[in-house]
Amino acid sequence: MADNKTTQASGAASGAAPGGGAAPAAAAPTPGLPGVSGDRPVKIVGIVCNWCSYAGADTAGVGRFRQPPNVRLVRVPCTGRIDPLFALKAFQKGADGVLISGCHPGDCHYSEGNYYARRRFELLERMVHYLGIPKERFRWTWVSASEGQRWQQVVTEFVAAVEKLGPREGRAL
Amino acid sequence: MSRQDHIREFAAKALSEGRVDYFIGWKQGYNSSEMVPAFVKDPAQVDELVWNPLCHHNLVTFIKRNMPDPAGAKIGLCVKGCDSRTLVALLQEQLVDKEKLYVVGVPCDGIIDRRKLEKQFKAEIIDVAFPDKGQVVVTTAKGETKEFAQDEVLLESCKRCRYPNPLYADDTAGPLVEEPDREQAPDFSDLAEYENLCDEDKQAFLERVYSTCIRCFACIHVCPVCVCWDRCVNRSRQPEWVEQKVDTKENLFFQMIHMFHVAGRCPSCGACDRACPVEIPLYLLHRKMNKEIYDMFRFEPGVKLDEKPVFQVFDLNDPFGD
Repeated sequence: MADNKTTQASGAASGAAPGGGAAPAAAAPTPGLPGVSGDRPVKIVGIVCNWCSYAGADTAGVGRFRQPPNVRLVRVPCTGRIDPLFALKAFQKGADGVLISGCHPGDCHYSEGNYYARRRFELLERMVHYLGIPKERFRWTWVSASEGQRWQQVVTEFVAAVEKLGPREGRAL
Repeated sequence: MSRQDHIREFAAKALSEGRVDYFIGWKQGYNSSEMVPAFVKDPAQVDELVWNPLCHHNLVTFIKRNMPDPAGAKIGLCVKGCDSRTLVALLQEQLVDKEKLYVVGVPCDGIIDRRKLEKQFKAEIIDVAFPDKGQVVVTTAKGETKEFAQDEVLLESCKRCRYPNPLYADDTAGPLVEEPDREQAPDFSDLAEYENLCDEDKQAFLERVYSTCIRCFACIHVCPVCVCWDRCVNRSRQPEWVEQKVDTKENLFFQMIHMFHVAGRCPSCGACDRACPVEIPLYLLHRKMNKEIYDMFRFEPGVKLDEKPVFQVFDLNDPFGD
């Protein structure tokens, strides 16, 4: 992946704001925006469900909520589809942080996918720390389709926390 | 009557009555300090079956899904306490057919760590004897004889055993052993040393340990609850979870796959630790997982037949997430 900041910004924006067109993130990086300081911008993999969090990111884009351009979104049908290994693989391949998000419990498009998922994510979170990846680099949460503001808040907070630790050096995981 | 005699008697009876096509137990291996799995087909052969504190193999591994060979064979096998938990874990998911099994439970006083024993001697061990309960006498090729208390050379997992008696068995070989106090939470103090390392040191430790892994798949092949042995994603090229490249990263990920795929079903029987030819401390992963699962759900894998593994069910009131 190119380390060019503009490419990254637009790449992230196309993921974070599907159909959002001219989302603020697509603009050239603004000084002071979290996530663009340090040796290189931090790379964060966001794994989101199609029905809530991806749409929530879209809402954030449509609403033109300013958010850091460091998150690349991977859209999956449901959080129940997310294998804990997805997150570990992302770390293994050099992600600086992994953010997982889906529908609030009770709102799953497939009724119960996120009930299974949250048990797994809880174990994953505990294991991630055990494997020597700092707590701040992994987060899982719920963002619904209408919560554009919340998505902005989650992404901003998470990127700021990862940015504080900086990019990860070549590690086994 | 010793437990060994009980096992032989049960095996001979089941074989001669036609209750089983073959019986799996333990027999003397090619080294005096090693027992190996034995497959007995003829009642006249039951005398080769043995039981002693060196019988560490978890025989449940031979009956995991699609394993019965020929398909539909009726199988008899011996299980220790920890082995029986892996059997229960398979039964919870209907991965083995109870009707086709004949299980002889062997109450267990603890298994000897063969490696620990061998490391004490430079010369080859030619004889391991158990004259009294809890006593181990080792003789080497140089004529050296040394006596151990069994507790000194026990496997680490046996020191913290909570289920020494089989949880599922058709017949039990001899009297049950004394049950430990299960009111208290399981003891995971063996993880503390690693847990207290800082993030950087944990990663450095894992890198050091996993750099020696040769990805021989022994841990996966002996794992009784690693049931998709014939369709393992570790071997998959599309998607390529683990690359062919000889690399610490790949080795570690290989083990991550094993760990997460047995989550909620692995009772930490320790078969993988004993099978690893380069002695990677795999217990650090699977015991930690069990520690967290106990903390999250108060669940111990493979204990109750009518339970489902925690990751295959859910509760609306799970307290996880924000």
